[in-house]
Amino acid sequence: MTFTATIRVFPKSEVRDPQGEAVRGALRSLGLAVSDVRTGKEIVVTFEAEDEPMALDAVSRMGRELLANPVIEVYEFSLNKGVPV
Amino acid sequence: MTRVAILRYPGTWSERDFQHALSLVPGVESDILWHEDADLAGYDVAIVPGGFTYGDYVRAGAIAKLSPATHALRRFADAGKLVLGSCNGFQILCEAGLLPGALVRNRGLEFRCDWVHMRVESDTTPWTAGLHGAILRMPIAHGEGCWVADDETLADVEARGQVVFRYTDERGGVTASANPNGSLANIAGVCNEGRNVVGLMPHPERCSEALLGGTDGYRVLANLAPALAGTAPALYR
Repeated sequence: MTFTATIRVFPKSEVRDPQGEAVRGALRSLGLAVSDVRTGKEIVVTFEAEDEPMALDAVSRMGRELLANPVIEVYEFSLNKGVPV
Repeated sequence: MTRVAILRYPGTWSERDFQHALSLVPGVESDILWHEDADLAGYDVAIVPGGFTYGDYVRAGAIAKLSPATHALRRFADAGKLVLGSCNGFQILCEAGLLPGALVRNRGLEFRCDWVHMRVESDTTPWTAGLHGAILRMPIAHGEGCWVADDETLADVEARGQVVFRYTDERGGVTASANPNGSLANIAGVCNEGRNVVGLMPHPERCSEALLGGTDGYRVLANLAPALAGTAPALYR
């Protein structure tokens, strides 16, 4: 079966996010009352797995073993059947 | 003869500098090994040089940690052999879990290309034997060199003497202005618990002869042969 996982990776709340701080400053320069910005990234992966539990295992491995570094980052994901729409 | 393997991943750029610097050290010979077929059998030491492996995609060092060379490196380190990672090599060793902590974007977002001073905090690694307290001057060139860890890891690393190098001013003062990237506790380099794996952001290979503006890198690299011959002038054996 074909699955599509959308994985979002963010710096842990206790890790400084200098990119977020720079974006916050830039948004404030637009005159907006921005109090905080956290930046991360979204990775969309299309892959094959036998069934949904296997697909969930596969996405966990992607997050744990490559896409997020547990020392500094957290990740979350959503999983859908089929290819990205 | 001490045999050194210098690993080359796609995007590594300091491997020839390391080979040149090591050619100045008596009793040491080195080979550059391509990451896909890096066979570390017969080598005493492995070096992971600087560069931008895989374009720093995902995170600096993240993709390189899944390379066959890094799997070989893990077995090599587990067997007690000596490993040194500099700059991107340090990032790869942290990503691979061979060293504690992680390296993130420099505070202030600047890429820093400069000379820094750092103090040798531990001489119980083969690379720093006999150098305890020495203030070394070395070049840096990195955008992601801010070493971070959670409070518990930082406390452990300090308590176990795993901080090998700390950014200081030229007189050894640990100051904020001497810290080029915002690293926790001014940490410039750490070792593993076994003390055979060392990583640092500065570039010893770029300051190993007077022509290049400094020789403090040579002081670190020149420890290789004595460390392996058991004649190192300090605690490491």
